[in-house]
Amino acid sequence: MDIFTNLILIFVSAALINNFVLHYFVGICPFLGVSRKVDTAFGMGLAVTFVISIAAFLSWTFTYFILRPEAPLPSWVWQTVSGEPTATVDLSVLSYIMYIFVIASSVQFVEMYVRKFFPPLYKSFGVFLPLITTNCAILFACLEIMKNLQDPTNLWGLGQAMALAVGGGVGFTIAISIMAGIREDLDLCDVPKPLRGAGIALIVAGIMAMAFMGFTGVDKGLEGALSALLK
Amino acid sequence: MLMTLTTLILAAVILALLAVAMGWILGWANRTFHVEVDPKLQAINEALPGANCGGCGFVGCGEYAEAIVAGKTELTLCAPGGAGCVELLAKIMGIEVGDSLPYRPVVHCVARYNDRKGHNEYRGEATCQAANMIADVQGCAYGCLGLGDCKAACKYDAIKIEDGLSIIDYTKCVGCKACAKVCPRNIITMTPFKSERILVIACSNQDFGKDVKEVCNVGCIGCKACSRLSDVFQFKGEAKLPSIDYDSYRPGMDFQEVMDKCPMKGMLYVGKPTDRDIDATKDEEAPQVVTVDFKTTVDDAEWRG
Repeated sequence: MDIFTNLILIFVSAALINNFVLHYFVGICPFLGVSRKVDTAFGMGLAVTFVISIAAFLSWTFTYFILRPEAPLPSWVWQTVSGEPTATVDLSVLSYIMYIFVIASSVQFVEMYVRKFFPPLYKSFGVFLPLITTNCAILFACLEIMKNLQDPTNLWGLGQAMALAVGGGVGFTIAISIMAGIREDLDLCDVPKPLRGAGIALIVAGIMAMAFMGFTGVDKGLEGALSALLK
Repeated sequence: MLMTLTTLILAAVILALLAVAMGWILGWANRTFHVEVDPKLQAINEALPGANCGGCGFVGCGEYAEAIVAGKTELTLCAPGGAGCVELLAKIMGIEVGDSLPYRPVVHCVARYNDRKGHNEYRGEATCQAANMIADVQGCAYGCLGLGDCKAACKYDAIKIEDGLSIIDYTKCVGCKACAKVCPRNIITMTPFKSERILVIACSNQDFGKDVKEVCNVGCIGCKACSRLSDVFQFKGEAKLPSIDYDSYRPGMDFQEVMDKCPMKGMLYVGKPTDRDIDATKDEEAPQVVTVDFKTTVDDAEWRG
């Protein structure tokens, strides 16, 4: 499988087949909280895509050079200390704290930057940025990337990490926009009293998740189509 | 052993370095990307009550503050803040503001359930909004439906429904207009309270006296006795119902004679009760006259088509 096919597959898989929200059930909080109006839901989706990309870039960099087993930086330090040229160190334990730390500070930085140089963008994103700083969907993307940096013989490159992150963000945007569209119409429905609000929202989310299960297996067909196309 | 120790130290050092680096970067960014926020905006944000009731017509206190700073709007729109708030805002903005009266909602209907006639069984959704779309829920097409849309809209627990009539508790009311906006019959109007207790007309029925009598025991029959006694009561244009002209209304005026003359006893004092009335009338409320708005009033001509 060549790299192009691989990237497309990772992207499609993150966006549709293994949709973060509807398959892994991460990022449910904004998914339910900000899905009352399509406009704001779409804005939230874009903000998540944006932050998730930055977080993926940073977490790939940190994981690749510092956190993964046999990472170059700590191994070099250890080799210098111990004098064994082949020794390696595994700092994976630091991953969670490192990711949260890096995500939070980078989002803070981006917020300040956008506020200074793109005030209109800040106005539309501003509300959401702090909200998604510690969103589990973002942490989930980082951890997925880490998972694929564990085996030294089969490491993900930055491209694959970014494909996963952008795909995940796009998938989140799709899911939350559909959800918001449904919930806008849901306001006009005569929902039984005990189910109003969060109850019916969760039921709708569940039905959507089932619908998205229909994408299972699309990857095989897509892979075949892509390889035929590239031949 | 050495391995574990090195890992520990490495982990600690890396995190510490990262913390220092990020702290430095963020600190630098904070200074470099600093955006001047108008000190007035901050002061105004602090001066506003922060209830975010939306009574001013803006989405929240923050937006109202921005509009004030931009000079796009009046300072007197904040009902929960009241006069003190306006004073503060005026001071911050360096503007002189005249007297601002607290506006409070008044329900222009005094008929309890048994005073109204022509009730029909209504089994629909228990909101005024829904009931108002159906003709003949009750005889009077102007009066309070008593299903409590205003009560539900009130964030301050200042409205109760008593015998099918909505009653406002002026000790709790902050004047956010939420009830006035939500009433489908537009019988709640915002009235300037020149004193803590003012006179209001407690009916909204715009029909002729004969028709009013058919649907209500206490509705205004438009006899004009009040307007003959005092200029404050005006029958504007074709109106079959007096309205109180609050520009010429003065708190000290004595309306006892008018109130005695009124055959339906259709005007009331609302607001803070006097000691004398405290037992008799403290929960009643009365309306100022509503301008007729046939677009939003249920009327057979409009609705039965």
